[in-house]
Amino acid sequence: MFWRILWRLLWASRSRLVLALVAVTAGAAVCAALVNLDLDAGEKLTREFRSLGANVIVSPAQSAGTGSTMDSAVMNRIESLRAPEIIAAAPYLYVIAQAGPRSSEKDAPAPSSVIVAGTWFDQAASINSWWSITGRRITERDDPAECMVGQEAARSLGLMPGSQLTLSSGSREATLKVAGVVTSGGSEDSQVFVGLATAQNLAGLDGRVGLVQLSVRGSTPVIENVIGRVSGALPELQVQPVRQLAAADGRLLERIRGLLFATVALILVLTALGVLAAMAGLALERRRDVGMMKALGGTVRRVMRFFLAEAAVIGILGGIVGWAVGMLLADVVGEQVFATSISPRFIVLPVTIGLMIAVALAGALPLRLLGRVRPAEILRGE
Amino acid sequence: MMAALVQVEGLSKKFGTVRALDDVTFEVTAGEWIAIMGPSGSGKTTLINILGGLDRPTDGRVVVDGTDVANLNERELTRYRAEKIGLVFQQFHLVPYLSAVENVMLAQYFHSVADEKEAARALVRVGLGDRLDHLPSQLSGGEQQRVAVARALINQPKLILADEPTGNLDEANEHTVLDLLQDLHATGHTILVVTHSAAIGRMADRRIELAHGRLTQIVANVS
Repeated sequence: MFWRILWRLLWASRSRLVLALVAVTAGAAVCAALVNLDLDAGEKLTREFRSLGANVIVSPAQSAGTGSTMDSAVMNRIESLRAPEIIAAAPYLYVIAQAGPRSSEKDAPAPSSVIVAGTWFDQAASINSWWSITGRRITERDDPAECMVGQEAARSLGLMPGSQLTLSSGSREATLKVAGVVTSGGSEDSQVFVGLATAQNLAGLDGRVGLVQLSVRGSTPVIENVIGRVSGALPELQVQPVRQLAAADGRLLERIRGLLFATVALILVLTALGVLAAMAGLALERRRDVGMMKALGGTVRRVMRFFLAEAAVIGILGGIVGWAVGMLLADVVGEQVFATSISPRFIVLPVTIGLMIAVALAGALPLRLLGRVRPAEILRGE
Repeated sequence: MMAALVQVEGLSKKFGTVRALDDVTFEVTAGEWIAIMGPSGSGKTTLINILGGLDRPTDGRVVVDGTDVANLNERELTRYRAEKIGLVFQQFHLVPYLSAVENVMLAQYFHSVADEKEAARALVRVGLGDRLDHLPSQLSGGEQQRVAVARALINQPKLILADEPTGNLDEANEHTVLDLLQDLHATGHTILVVTHSAAIGRMADRRIELAHGRLTQIVANVS
């Protein structure tokens, strides 16, 4: 009889309940999408952060003194850790070189000093994907014939993509073609980027690197864990986080998650208000019925069970439909914001349904006031 | 002499400063048909509501089938209504989105367990065997009142209370409902009917007449 009456109640009030259902479904869709995004947010957002540059530096121990270098075998040792959190590892060897025309040319302008950064182009590109490049980005790891030039250096040396550049250090010389001009807004703008082997030749430091930049994905504890593992594998070296960036990553992640939760909370309140508006009218309509049911011997608990079950049904239906819509929404947001598809998390379904039942019951507060209806007053027509 | 099913002693009810009932005392024997009469505002409906456990007296004692209604808490009053009282109202007060048989089953549900076959039999008894699945809006006034009578009877109450049961009916339907009440009386039911109708007053065993909340006279009809 309970379900029969419940069905009749739902059917009889369908026009008002559809309004409540729409409110709950819309709220559920946005909540489900945001909760799903939040579950993926750690991974997706830190992946986004990792495009902002290296967050861990491996360098020779301080005791080794300034200007000291490491054996480039360090790259193999880092790789052998097989840490999936390490998205990219770029070795760097910095050399002060003279940039200018070939020394054999006569009447050439005096060469000027530039910082030459020797690196693996593919890894540097992965770590610094946010660099703006005019011309072409070099993707070959150790291109011996080309270089990239920071925009300040390009301006002072009068270089552009396609120009020839000769770098010399002592008697060592390398002539390279400028593939692209880099704009980073940082110190990179005044550097010249060459393949690691080229820099090693210029410096006369074959098989040596000055430091290694790592891009490590994950939250602050994950990054600290990776640092511990790298330190363990490279005990003679110094492994340090780029504190500011790592902390900024964490803070930004926390703020974004806070924003997601605040939005979910706001939407839950708005959804409850939507349900409240629909249910307030319904409560007025049902005063007489409740008075009648109580006059027939229905206890407050038994009578109210119909109305609360009705709200719960709306919560469940709205939660299920809203979850499905929310998963589509999350996918669209994932594509637009993170450029990756967001996989639906099924744990979000019970969470959404639970939230929507709670919201629908909260919104059904006016119906609970029906418990106070005095049958004699209602039957008298008051 | 039969024991009284209903004992009302010194019953008073005040709404603020208005005294709706003032020191009313009477008894009803099981199987009696009582007509409660009087002008508007005389306290008839208040009396029925107190007897039906819908309202509480301000003073006095009301005992129905051994239960002192004035001393019951809210939960006990609800149980009392479900088990001992059958209510019929002038406005019918059917639940509009439930069919005729479901309206009857609703009273069963609040009493104990809903039984559709038994509810259907009750409607057949009041001549609505072909209207079981009709909604109240699809029934005439007389038919709605007969559903209300079937609902009032379904739990075999000790006392049937009817407040102007024919007040909203045309003559033909009034006769149908009165015939029903007469049948119930004939089968031993105890009935208290609030009415303005002198005809109904004459059909009852006794008339209790109220004026300004006071019991003015009790008249026994000679059959």
